[in-house]
Amino acid sequence: MAPTTLLIDKHVRYIQDLGKHTDSLAYHLTAHLRINAVYWGLVALCVMGHPDALDHDDTLAYVMSCWDDDAGAFGAHPGHDAHIHATLSAIQILAIHDALDRVDVPRVTAYILALQQPSGVFAGDAFGETDTRFLYIAVNALALLGQLDRLDKDKTVGYIRQCANFDGGFGSVAGAESHAAQVFVCTAALAILDRLDVVDVPSLGWWLAERQMASGGLNGRPEKLEDVCYSFWVLSSMSILNKMTWIDADKLIEFILSAQDPEGGGISDRPENMVDVFHTQFGVAGLSLLGYPGLQDLDPVYCMPASVIDRMGLRKGWKALPRRPL
Amino acid sequence: MLNLNPEFYTVWNYRRNILINGIFPACSPAEKHETLSNDLSMTTAALKAHPKVYWIWNHRRWCLENLPDGGEGDDPQAWRRSSWERELFIVDKMFDRDPRNFHVWNYRRYVLSNMPVPRTAASELAFTTKMIESKLSNFSAWHHRTKVFSSLRTSSELDIHHYLPNEFEIVHNALYTEPNDQGVWLYHRWLMGTGEDRQLLEREIGVIQELLCEEPSNKWCMESLVRYKQMLLQNHSSTLGNSEAQNLVRQCLDLLRKLEELDPARRQRYQDLAAEVKT
Repeated sequence: MAPTTLLIDKHVRYIQDLGKHTDSLAYHLTAHLRINAVYWGLVALCVMGHPDALDHDDTLAYVMSCWDDDAGAFGAHPGHDAHIHATLSAIQILAIHDALDRVDVPRVTAYILALQQPSGVFAGDAFGETDTRFLYIAVNALALLGQLDRLDKDKTVGYIRQCANFDGGFGSVAGAESHAAQVFVCTAALAILDRLDVVDVPSLGWWLAERQMASGGLNGRPEKLEDVCYSFWVLSSMSILNKMTWIDADKLIEFILSAQDPEGGGISDRPENMVDVFHTQFGVAGLSLLGYPGLQDLDPVYCMPASVIDRMGLRKGWKALPRRPL
Repeated sequence: MLNLNPEFYTVWNYRRNILINGIFPACSPAEKHETLSNDLSMTTAALKAHPKVYWIWNHRRWCLENLPDGGEGDDPQAWRRSSWERELFIVDKMFDRDPRNFHVWNYRRYVLSNMPVPRTAASELAFTTKMIESKLSNFSAWHHRTKVFSSLRTSSELDIHHYLPNEFEIVHNALYTEPNDQGVWLYHRWLMGTGEDRQLLEREIGVIQELLCEEPSNKWCMESLVRYKQMLLQNHSSTLGNSEAQNLVRQCLDLLRKLEELDPARRQRYQDLAAEVKT
């Protein structure tokens, strides 16, 4: 039978055990996402009220071991090249641990700013793949580092405008189809830059509301399958636009809970599939925004524990559903 | 390593650095062309197994962008031309397997805007027609069609008003065939634009009302009717009679009440829209 409550103890154990399988091939085949996985696991733990389940010193030592001194930014794992995505995860983990003083802020800031292209979009690394994901990552990272003043905001917003479609959504590059994950990155970047005036709220609110399927789960584009990770991509955008009431929260909670692995812990993309830490984090994040009882607040703009963003004074005007009593 | 894990981005970087610093400096243009062609073949094979891995697509772009001048005959563009042309063929093959893969669509737009000999917008329009005909619910193809028209408009290659009657015919047929397909309704919404043309609004409201008679519980019909009737109220209030306007308001509120019953998951949105219509 599908679980009907959040199995917090199982998920905490699942996340704690992720780093222990160092002799498995799967561990090494996912090394290119390791620091991102640490961030996903840590945020899920914070939201579930277990921020100390991963060892503080080990975590910080691991993050610092991912530093790529040639590039002046972080890679996904020790010895891996610097990349903007790994760099944001490193900054986020350090911010959660109130340890941003370990970052070489001038070098990381220079690394990020140098990745902005003439169009305003950002590349992910020196080889130049561009995407609104990297633009959001740059904006988020600069905000966490207190360096947002260094960014050419008009140029950055200009590129997001180019990615806006008639349906109210945003794509990965200018001309691309609207996609829920790209809607999140563009909407959240605009929230950080105080430029939500760019969003066509009635159209986008409708488009987001129509992501809910009969199963209660959310999909990422019209006529596609539902997937737990869209719980975050869609709900974060809805909470930023204050439209959380436009879908059926109970049915979505039921869908996310049904994708848990009741034995080994963790959450998968949809019921009966293999779990992973990515879907575990975005499932838990979605539940937090839906007001699921007993969880901590998640800040949808930065995808960080809300308490951390509040402490840093970076909170923007989003609205989740009220926390339900236990 | 890359066959084992094509997402190992550091290895892709390592490979490119070897090519740039170790191999290309000692290469003739023909050798460089051959090396890059081999890498293109390697990524073709990799994409067959992993069609959604960003890093493989990136490497493909990098190979194309680094092709040297030269080729058969004296045309310095010959290699480049034949390689870029081949890309559209690869894209077609990838669409045979998954016509919604956004990597492939983005790659297609990238190829179109970078190829040495640009394709005409008319032929691209024909391509989207073919994709839509093979699967009506492929919103990616409808989306692409909006972008082709937008590029036509800015390049003034053709006048969209010349195409509009045909577009409405296509979309009406699609609505009657797949009345529950969200993507087709989205395309209709795009065609309607901001609703400045009162005659057009009234004509389309009539078409959708007819469809609603055949599909009395179709929520997309009702949603669209509310939108277009609201457009009449907002954009054409000065030419609407008082009783006509009141009728439209009443019709919108009736439709929104039905939508609440029909689609309770989104009840709050319909209530919010109703509050807006009342003011």
